[in-house]
Amino acid sequence: MNHENKAVLLETRRQLLGRGIGALALSSLTASADTLPHFAPKAKRAIYLHMVGAPPQMDLLDYKPGMKDWFDKDLPDSIRQGQRLTTMTSGQTRFPIAPSVFKFAQHGKSGAWISELLPNVAKMADDITIIRTMHTEAINHEPAITFIQTGNQIAGRPCIGSWIAYGLGSMNQDLPTFVVLNANHTHPKANVQAISARLWSAGFLSAQYSGVSLRSAGDPVLYVKNPDGVPTAMRRRMLDALGELNQLTLEKQGDAETRSRIAQYEMAFRMQASVPDLTDLSKEPDSTYQLYGEDARKPGTFANQALMARRLVERGVRFVQLYMRGWDVHGNLPEVLPSQCKDVDQALYGLVQDLKQRGLLDETLVVWGGEFGRTIYSQGKLTPTDYGRDHHPRCYSLWAAGGGLKPGVVHGETDEFSYNIVRDPVHIRDFQATLLHLFGIDHERFTYKYQGLDQKLTGVEKARVVKGILA
Amino acid sequence: MMRFLMSFLLALPLLPAGRVDFRREVRPILSDACFHCHGPDKKTRMAGLRLDVKTEAFGARKSGTPIVPGSPDQSLIIKRILHDKPALKMPPASAHKTLTPAQINTLRTWIEQGADWQEHWAFIAPSKPAVPNSSWGNNEIDRFLHARITAAGLTPAAEADRRTLARRASLDITGLPPEPQDVEAFLKDTRPNAYEAYVDKLLSSPHYGEHRARYWLDAARYADTHGLHIDNYREMWHFRDWVINAFNRNLRFDAFTRDQLAGDLLPGGTRDQLIASGFHRNNVTTNEGGVIEDEVAVMYAKDRVDTTSTVFLGLTVGCATCHDHKFDPITQKDFYSMSAFFRNTTQKPLDGNISDTPPVIFLPVSGDEQRWKTIDQDLIQLRGLRGQRADQVAAKAKPELKLPKQYDPVWHLDKIAFSKEGEVKEAPGFNKIQADQPFTVSMWVYYPKPDDNWTLLSQINSKEEDGTKIRGWTIDIQGRQPVLKMVGEFAQPIAARGGNAAKMMPDNWYHIAFTYDGQRRKKDSLELYFNGTRVNHEGKQESSRPALQGSILNNEPLRIGGDGNKRFFKGGSLKDVRIYSRVLSSEEIAVLEMFPRATEGKPVELSRVWSAIKDGESRKLMAKIATTELERKNILRRGAVTHVMVEREDQKPMANILYRGMYDQPRDKVEADVPQVLGGLGSSTQKNRLGLADWLLKAENPLFARVAVNRFWQEIFGTGLVRSSDDFGSQGEAPSHPELLDWLAVDFRENGWDVKRLMRQIVLSAAYRQQAVTTEEKLKKDSDNRLLSRGPRFRMDAEAVRDYALASSGLLVRKVGGPSVRPYQPERIWETVAMDGSDTRFYKQDRGEGLYRRSMYTFWKRSAPPPSMDLFNAPTRENCTVRRERTNTPLQALLTMNDVQFVEAARHLAQRAMETHKNNFDEQLDFLSERLVSRRFEPKERDIIQKSYRDFLRHYDSKPEDARKLIAVGESKANPKLNAPEFAALTMVTNELMNLDEVLNK
Repeated sequence: MNHENKAVLLETRRQLLGRGIGALALSSLTASADTLPHFAPKAKRAIYLHMVGAPPQMDLLDYKPGMKDWFDKDLPDSIRQGQRLTTMTSGQTRFPIAPSVFKFAQHGKSGAWISELLPNVAKMADDITIIRTMHTEAINHEPAITFIQTGNQIAGRPCIGSWIAYGLGSMNQDLPTFVVLNANHTHPKANVQAISARLWSAGFLSAQYSGVSLRSAGDPVLYVKNPDGVPTAMRRRMLDALGELNQLTLEKQGDAETRSRIAQYEMAFRMQASVPDLTDLSKEPDSTYQLYGEDARKPGTFANQALMARRLVERGVRFVQLYMRGWDVHGNLPEVLPSQCKDVDQALYGLVQDLKQRGLLDETLVVWGGEFGRTIYSQGKLTPTDYGRDHHPRCYSLWAAGGGLKPGVVHGETDEFSYNIVRDPVHIRDFQATLLHLFGIDHERFTYKYQGLDQKLTGVEKARVVKGILA
Repeated sequence: MMRFLMSFLLALPLLPAGRVDFRREVRPILSDACFHCHGPDKKTRMAGLRLDVKTEAFGARKSGTPIVPGSPDQSLIIKRILHDKPALKMPPASAHKTLTPAQINTLRTWIEQGADWQEHWAFIAPSKPAVPNSSWGNNEIDRFLHARITAAGLTPAAEADRRTLARRASLDITGLPPEPQDVEAFLKDTRPNAYEAYVDKLLSSPHYGEHRARYWLDAARYADTHGLHIDNYREMWHFRDWVINAFNRNLRFDAFTRDQLAGDLLPGGTRDQLIASGFHRNNVTTNEGGVIEDEVAVMYAKDRVDTTSTVFLGLTVGCATCHDHKFDPITQKDFYSMSAFFRNTTQKPLDGNISDTPPVIFLPVSGDEQRWKTIDQDLIQLRGLRGQRADQVAAKAKPELKLPKQYDPVWHLDKIAFSKEGEVKEAPGFNKIQADQPFTVSMWVYYPKPDDNWTLLSQINSKEEDGTKIRGWTIDIQGRQPVLKMVGEFAQPIAARGGNAAKMMPDNWYHIAFTYDGQRRKKDSLELYFNGTRVNHEGKQESSRPALQGSILNNEPLRIGGDGNKRFFKGGSLKDVRIYSRVLSSEEIAVLEMFPRATEGKPVELSRVWSAIKDGESRKLMAKIATTELERKNILRRGAVTHVMVEREDQKPMANILYRGMYDQPRDKVEADVPQVLGGLGSSTQKNRLGLADWLLKAENPLFARVAVNRFWQEIFGTGLVRSSDDFGSQGEAPSHPELLDWLAVDFRENGWDVKRLMRQIVLSAAYRQQAVTTEEKLKKDSDNRLLSRGPRFRMDAEAVRDYALASSGLLVRKVGGPSVRPYQPERIWETVAMDGSDTRFYKQDRGEGLYRRSMYTFWKRSAPPPSMDLFNAPTRENCTVRRERTNTPLQALLTMNDVQFVEAARHLAQRAMETHKNNFDEQLDFLSERLVSRRFEPKERDIIQKSYRDFLRHYDSKPEDARKLIAVGESKANPKLNAPEFAALTMVTNELMNLDEVLNK
């Protein structure tokens, strides 16, 4: 037998390439010569709650009492300043201002003005950081959500969670690094916008960094359950035999990937145990449901998914993304918005307090917001009790908590029409740079070579970390 | 990751010992670390210095000479690289690029050795190099490879055994495992060309075309939905058929290219070539409310440039959308000149959420081809005869007319006028309009002043709060057009809307009629007649399935004049409202519409209506017209459309340069052209897509042939000779075997662009036929097998993994081509992302054949691709992909272990084993292994497998309910005669074997 047939064990190769097993990103393999994180992180985990459709800032977080005097008056050109409109309202002959019908009050030591629709969020005003001056260029949902999640309006780039998974890797051995949740909404008239698998895609990064959906119906993780009639013991027995057979292949062929495959099957088996453990809420005490609300018992509700998010980060999942639809209030706003808020308000409070009580909040960044703002003028018919709002990119509100942010802070100021930014703009790129910063990553140095370019989440335009909101 | 591997590759010995290769080792460093500021883009050029141009890199400047051949210490670039003052050190800190000591050493050594300089390799047209002498191998490929293998101090591996070869070649040529009998025949074949014969048989299989096509569909970004927002169904599968067919008939690659880029522009072009032009209709499109058309048009043009330049040129021209390319000599003007080719069709930016966004062509199924050619003529003729006959009998016609029985409606309202406030008349107990029954509604409508939207007739629970519970139907006037809407389960409607051909004006009477055939289809179950003529109604949204689901019934009465809630037909009037429980033909509706004027004695109408009632000959003609129309409709139903390119006649292809790529910042106008660094189109070439195709195929084009052969090489060996198969530019990788690449490229062109011939060359080479065994030495010197010092071995692509399970089990339905199918998929994959109105919101799995077709036919929804494909690295098809990655993840393991598709396949294969070899485990095991790994297991393996079988059996003997559950997985029926515990145990064994690393690799 000549030496060609003598295969080699994996050790040599591993030493050579330093590549570990499993779907983990090791910092030694990032494109930049630096190791990650670049500096001491504050956040180790994130829960990103994206409200699909774009909540209206002036009805929730950006109080504009002056607009009461402007009811049904046209938005002045001096304010609009040539902002391009979507074709849904660009054909309107009038742009009558629709002041919010909801009451605002100040809360906490920060004195933040928060609308009556979010009473529980208001209760924790001193725990959160409100940014009133987010802005973007996109005016429609598909490009805008893609923009804030992947850094570009056109599909194909990795999303934030994938970048984080790639850069920092996993914190646990049994669950995916990046998990995606979806929450239902209640109101039947809520306008539902499309989302897409691209929003949790790893783009040009390796597909192992894609978000894994944790589903509230059927298999919680796709294919995690053994088929009917195959108990765990039988699956284990099969894996034992499979491992032995693959070991023979490894010895015969000497292909490093075989060893990796053996490890992947073992991880799969571990996930088969860790996932049911994750989704089994039976051991959650009643106090949990007092905190999040009884809705948290119902699979698929926002409260239930928020609870799931806490359980995920508690088990060392690094990035959780949650999508909730129904916020696209082009019409029927006074009817639909309270319902949307009711779906989330208590659970938002519950989630942040829960993380706080468990000592996780300091290292867990929680983000709540949409993809752009909404217009102060009404879309469609305006009455004293009914109005709708079109998309508005120039300013919108978002709040975040934990993970190294300064709590009890309101950042930035918009004009009295909640139309333009007066002070401290935060482009979504800046927000992404700040998010990375909280994770101890310098967004300019965190790159991946693709198509000849050192690609960054924040893209090629300038982006700055928002120092004012850092603790 | 890539840079790491790149520097690893660079460390491989290439030239006579110690000689640095500028193109492979030096230029990439300069490109990556310097060109951004010292390269082709003048806008970011610093100090006016270019290091990508020889004269400048070697030219003396005030501060010194950047590169002084032979003297690294005198060379300004070295001085700056080693400078200790941060302000002068290169690259500067702000660039975030660092040169490693090894890279600096490479630069120094290169300069020391004389700093020889070559232009970027990919821009110099290839010529056929001399083939090295070699004692090893079967063809030129081997001789080139052998030269480098021996230079690395390695020897090729021995040839793999026939079983291994049989499996490998089958997977590479057809994407399917070999049939056991074909393997046996090959083993027994004593002819010297036995392997060639085996390969040729595979090449002649129709599955070859399928397999090659699957790779191409990634490049073409083929999918079955539009891709954005509502993401509705797009009827495009004829394009897929065209690609499969093209490979099977071995269409020359130049014609293949030309047909897809310009099939619509070829003089004397065939229908097939027109179908091929759909290549550039595959990009994602949108119809999202609020989009700005100009912006969208720019987006489409950009996709087409990106795709064309990636697939046919291997260049990242798209990087020049906002500025000149930083690394390659491609300007922003070049980008927009290319985009001009693709912005000149009759396609509108919004796709309308319909399945047949124009321009499209209709393709009948093959059985209808002949009839389709003649049917329109027949209809014209028949209608002509009808008219003539009416004229012939006109003298007999009298205005005392009475409609015969066939026109008796099941419900009738003579006339009604509504006040300005509007009121509603109710008729309870009405049940003539339902989802499963045909009906016709016709009436005369008076359109009142002032304009508004009204409901004329309805039966709907409009007061229902919960939008998803709305059921019923309405006939409205909206936007001056008549609309019939039927709302079923999930509040999903189908509708027929008038459109421009049915616009109404105030203070006029109109005749409108709707027919419904009871088949629930969105597109053609409803017809609309306006003043007696059928109009092409809007709301032509198609789905390949019936769209109206469930019942439309409710407890409401029939309402005339309103919807029972907020909508009233204020000031309007209705006359002669008729409801029928059948579909009236177009001729009958014309009669209804003409009837009033006929009774008034108007001659044309009178003759028509009289003959329709009294003249037997006329009635026969009317019946014939009706059946022919139905025949035509059924042909349309059986057939399908496909999207094509149609060039505008009224303008030349032009574009504007866009400042920073912004659609609303146009600058200079440019004509259609190709990058100047590649010579431009030249004056004798047409400035359209046909000219573009011609230019690509010229012998002087340095990229086209190389890029093509590189991709075919990549399909077989897993990695191209140029690893960055999508980037042959400065930032891509240099070829591992530049002479071999050039030889193959020229050879491909010189021999008729023959793809099968190229496949044959590769698969018959000794390199391909080596054992795929890694040794310690080869791990050190050829870790990624770029030298091909051993046979290829890597995990199969997603489609091949699933096809393998189906084929080996015997469940695969081998039909080639046709519309997409819907196999098993976990629930709610589509629903989670889809919008309410989307016709790809609810996934309804097929029964039967559709579950077992090759994976390339799986319905592809871009915003929620099939997870079984996605998990194994299939791209989303949102953009062009020419290179897939191969990951190794636990989610993949879960899929192949637990997905019903795989479990059912395991069960079915186990069943066949048990049916063929009753009560003999060893023989059953051989049956399994011959289909799964094309060999018999060795004693050690048999021992492991048998032990697991015994443990499975013990369990299933004690728990027969588990056995029954396991063998019931999947839609196909398990053989009830087999002993259930044994069956289940063998299913587990098969499941175990189907997950072997050996099975998942090729």
